[in-house]
Amino acid sequence: MKWIIIGLMAAVLSAQETTVIQNATVYTATKPAFVGSVAFSGGKITAVGDKLIVPPGAKVVDGTGLHVSPGIIDSHSHIAVQGFGVNEGSVSVSSMVQIRDVLDSEDIAIYRALAGGVTTANILHGSANAIGGNNQLIKMRWGKTVGELIMEGGTSSIKFALGENPKRAGNPTPQSGGVARYPATRMGVEDIYRQAFTEARAYQKSLADFKAGKLMMAPRRDLKLEALVEVLEGKRLVHCHAYRSDEMLMMMRVAEEFGFRLATFQHVQEGYKIAKEMALHGVAGAGFSDWWSYKMEVVDGIPFNMAVMTKKGVLAGINSDDAGLMRRLNTEAAKAMRYGGLTEEQALALVTINPAKQMKVDHLIGSIEPGKSADLVVWNKPPLSSYAVPQKVYIDGNLYFERDRDMSDRARRAAAKKALEDQLKQEAPAEQKKGGPPGRRGPANEESGQ
Amino acid sequence: MKYSLLLIAALASAQDSYLIRNATIHPVTGPEIANGSLLIENGKITGIGAKLVAPKGVKIVEAKGMHAWPGMINCATQIGISEVSSVRETNDTNEIGEFIPQVRAVVAVNPETEHIPVARANGLTAVLTLPAAIATGGGPGASTAGQSIVRGQAAMLRLDGWTWEDLALSQSAGMLVRFPAIQTVTFAFPAGRTEVPYAEAKRRYDGEMRKIDEFFEKCRRYQQAKKAATPNFQADVQLEAMLPVLEGRTPLLIAAQRERGIREAIDFCEKHKVKLVLMDVRKPGAQLARLAEKKIPVIVGQPTDLPMDEDDDYDAAYALPAVLHKAGVKFAFATYDNQFARNLPFEAGYAVAYGLPMDAAWKALTIDAAEIFGVGEMTGSLEKGKSADLLLSDGDPLEVRTQIKMLFIRGKNVSLENRQTRLYQKYLARP
Amino acid sequence: MRAILLFLLATVTAWSEVPSGMAIRNARVVTVSGAVLPKATVLIRDGLIENVGPDLPVPADAWLIEGEGLTVYPGLVDALSTLGQDARPSGPPAAAAAPAAPARGPEDRPRTFSWERIADKVRAADPRVETARGLGFTSTMTFPVSGIFAGQGAVMNLGDARPSRLIVQSPAGQYLSFALGGGGGGGRGFPSSLMGVIAYVRQCYLDLDYYKQAKAAYDRDPKGRTRPEYDRALEGLAESPRLLFPAVGLSEIDRILRFAKELKQPAVLYGLHEGFRAADLLKTAGYPVIVSTKWPTRQADADPDLVETTRALETRAKAPSTPGVLAAQGIKFAFSSDGQSAADMLRGVRKAMQMGLSEADALRALTLSPAEIFGVADRMGSIEKGKIANLVVTRGDLLSERPRIEYIIVDGVKYLPPVPPATPAAKEMTR
Repeated sequence: MKWIIIGLMAAVLSAQETTVIQNATVYTATKPAFVGSVAFSGGKITAVGDKLIVPPGAKVVDGTGLHVSPGIIDSHSHIAVQGFGVNEGSVSVSSMVQIRDVLDSEDIAIYRALAGGVTTANILHGSANAIGGNNQLIKMRWGKTVGELIMEGGTSSIKFALGENPKRAGNPTPQSGGVARYPATRMGVEDIYRQAFTEARAYQKSLADFKAGKLMMAPRRDLKLEALVEVLEGKRLVHCHAYRSDEMLMMMRVAEEFGFRLATFQHVQEGYKIAKEMALHGVAGAGFSDWWSYKMEVVDGIPFNMAVMTKKGVLAGINSDDAGLMRRLNTEAAKAMRYGGLTEEQALALVTINPAKQMKVDHLIGSIEPGKSADLVVWNKPPLSSYAVPQKVYIDGNLYFERDRDMSDRARRAAAKKALEDQLKQEAPAEQKKGGPPGRRGPANEESGQ
Repeated sequence: MKYSLLLIAALASAQDSYLIRNATIHPVTGPEIANGSLLIENGKITGIGAKLVAPKGVKIVEAKGMHAWPGMINCATQIGISEVSSVRETNDTNEIGEFIPQVRAVVAVNPETEHIPVARANGLTAVLTLPAAIATGGGPGASTAGQSIVRGQAAMLRLDGWTWEDLALSQSAGMLVRFPAIQTVTFAFPAGRTEVPYAEAKRRYDGEMRKIDEFFEKCRRYQQAKKAATPNFQADVQLEAMLPVLEGRTPLLIAAQRERGIREAIDFCEKHKVKLVLMDVRKPGAQLARLAEKKIPVIVGQPTDLPMDEDDDYDAAYALPAVLHKAGVKFAFATYDNQFARNLPFEAGYAVAYGLPMDAAWKALTIDAAEIFGVGEMTGSLEKGKSADLLLSDGDPLEVRTQIKMLFIRGKNVSLENRQTRLYQKYLARP
Repeated sequence: MRAILLFLLATVTAWSEVPSGMAIRNARVVTVSGAVLPKATVLIRDGLIENVGPDLPVPADAWLIEGEGLTVYPGLVDALSTLGQDARPSGPPAAAAAPAAPARGPEDRPRTFSWERIADKVRAADPRVETARGLGFTSTMTFPVSGIFAGQGAVMNLGDARPSRLIVQSPAGQYLSFALGGGGGGGRGFPSSLMGVIAYVRQCYLDLDYYKQAKAAYDRDPKGRTRPEYDRALEGLAESPRLLFPAVGLSEIDRILRFAKELKQPAVLYGLHEGFRAADLLKTAGYPVIVSTKWPTRQADADPDLVETTRALETRAKAPSTPGVLAAQGIKFAFSSDGQSAADMLRGVRKAMQMGLSEADALRALTLSPAEIFGVADRMGSIEKGKIANLVVTRGDLLSERPRIEYIIVDGVKYLPPVPPATPAAKEMTR
């Protein structure tokens, strides 16, 4: 009843067009599924319920036999980044770099993820160093520019990394040709954090001293330390790549020593072993369902991890770290029903509301509730079914993907490509006469980057 | 020889017999049987039908609400010869040498590998173990430079046994060949991307093509010399290993993702009159009809892999099995690795979601896979006389949430436990 | 020895051609800054345009050119080149070669040569200068191109006088390149990624603010204070009138526009092959751009079966439409040779004209616009009284397929175009 009233009010108050998906099975991610409607207007969900009065002038989408879920949220992705540059691995502390600076709005992986029901992703720095760069939350607004990918109101976060990756540069091979970069062991990884946060504390103090009038001049702004001070002050979330229980325990203790709380362990393969300690620290676990056996630190990875963490009070979530897996996080979540027996709601939450909570954006996205962004997926089958295929994907109420449209457009796209090829073929003879290989290396191509 | 056969028979006879009853039985080669029964004796299926009488002493498996399917077969793994793929010492893949047909994966299989119980837990009863990795997902980038050309023999393993001899459904199910390809762009770690002009890549390719042609000619001459029993005939381990290939008993396994590679592999096998199984097929293009016409079996690239090219339909890989099926190409599924070998049913699930009929998916997972590798007489369907390799599930095994309840391999009720389930129980119980 | 002789000869010739004045009488004058004068006289004295207009009296001492049937244009400008620099492949200046120890952060000022001035290094003996001049180019913006901060460029006239006489303006801007150090590993030092480069540039400008403040504070009251450390990298930035950023593709253009805005520095973008897709972004941002005339082509030695993306095809087909699109949007742009010969640059411009760029807009982008972009429009770029006498005198249209150039005037010095060795067509055949 409450929903109905809100729905009517929205229709009256908003000049924008309201859309209502009617008579579909609705998975809100916070309540059991039911057959009903979802209404949205002005980019936000305005009403959800089993009996919704359609406001006059609303656009009605018949959802009979279809299923509606919140947009999938991938809390660990490296798509939409120019080239392969997700690591500034030259140094052990690269908190001055920002994924935001290298986004690429034309990566086809965006569209493919969208077609798999993903509406939001956290684009993370890589795991080559203990303190990596700053991450960027984006929405899969395919066709828009780089600036428009960035999620409004998204939280700031930084990547940390433990274990084999950050110590790899400390053990250079002849082929990698490199000079050894500290650290080479997990012991050294801990040292990096304690050194960096000690330095950050000193920087924080000099900033405070200046504010208190104890210094004549503001200290030099240091982007590397600024990000770490934000971590100390709880303004920047830490998403920490980790596999083994020992390294995660170390990280929690270091964070506690410096007075901050970690947001998530990423991958978190052995989270099930220390769920108690994680719950106590308040860190969430975000990882894969069943990655294992490809390196030593994942040998104890088990697909029951998500279920154990969930049962023991850890906020668990599933993510991809991979452009391929990103497209099928729904079935990856379903594995938590298979392994460890989570309920359908619990499993769906692993890729919707839980990652939203992990990234502290659950007031904006992650479930079908009035006031949240109208990021919705319409499926042909229940979203956790192996046979579920997204039919429509909305972001902020805008239809960004429609399977029918994609399929009916294929012939046109192929023809357009053919036409381009033909056009270029016709021009080619003239070009050959003119050029031979393009001129010597010169200014604009010399070092223009990618 | 006789002795070992007797021994096997003795082992088998020591086994329990089972009557599975009230299950929905999916023989795959025949129509579904509702409320059916399956009789398992001496490791074989001895009865299948709506109503079977339980002989004395058989164990009854009450399977009401459950489904019986043949066990699934993963057609490309390194199970048994690679444990932790990034730790060199745990790998016995990728032997050195340009032409090493005599090298056999089966002899290096560790029966105690953890990958076997993990794969079994999801309803797999057999896997093909390749002696070397197939570069997957690489497209033009997959570097094969420096790898051997004829890379050794693949084994078809059942996922239960005491020794590698015991595990082997077929000790030599195929001869893995890295077919030469024109590669202008390659990726290698840590050197990164390297590019050579087309002319240079073509020159290298031509060189390798000459080599492989010459090698096959040499094998033919050896075959003829042996047949003619010429007085100075000298036995040769390497060439001897190629005889089953030349005689058409063992197929070449060639990975060819795109149209050009597929065309060249077929041309080569026609020229040398040898059997072919294409692996990791992704974009057959205009060769599709030829695959059907020449009845060349295909192990499809992973449906859940990304499409190869930016402009491909977003669902191109998901939909390829349906395309192959429609064209009449015989195919099977594989994961091409160990880590995700257990996800085989979900690979098929995506193929079904994007258009492959369910019965075709099951054929591909079972009988077609078995037939492609020459073990179709023994396993791959629920039929009288076949090895009792089957699973019981509480629903559709291609659905992720479905539980595998029991698994039988050669009639043995094998455990679904593994190190992962033990870790799960241990830490779930942690105070 | 021979070089010296040539240099002397050139000097003598140049001087011998400078009478006290020059007049081109009754020619068609394309001023670019104003209307085309169908019949006007251009008076030149002391390297400057003394006057221009119809019916001007010709001074008695002036060298007279009868302009009947001739057209006078402002000299052409290559807005971004390495003309006048050593022909050897550009690398970092020898003195500043890569440091032995890898950089560990922004404080080590990696790959930075911001203080270097190309004006101190140019030489007229670069044979490309004479070639470009022969085709009507009288000026260029020549830039160092190696390093993240590569150094200060200069506006240079393409005469053959002493280098110090050729420089019109220095510094003309700081050239940035986003070349990567390579890899995610530690070996080669900071920065090793594009985001590292951008973070470095950002930190440098924060450091510059701090540096200025610290210096000012110290200068006000040095007693009892530790003096700020001298930082040549920041000194270089402080004297950069503008930053030249690479931006070829759409995402790069978008990124750089936002970054330049953030830095609050005058910026010029170079490259712009996908400018045709970014017109709205560019118009909103309001930064001028330098369009590379080296249009993308299909790789000459590509695999014939290479799958190209629609995006790449579209960029190839439409990149030359960029100048026309920019002109229509009123976005200020100039052209660069981008490492090509002057002849190829002009071919590139004509290609843009075939794809919608008007002749007048093309001419402006080759003359006045680059002068405006680099802040020297008060002294060059058009035919106006008092400006530097950089002119091209032709019979017919300068931007036609085969322009007939009669004279080129640089700093008031008259040059004849080189005698073509053969017909242009024959010359092309031999390339």
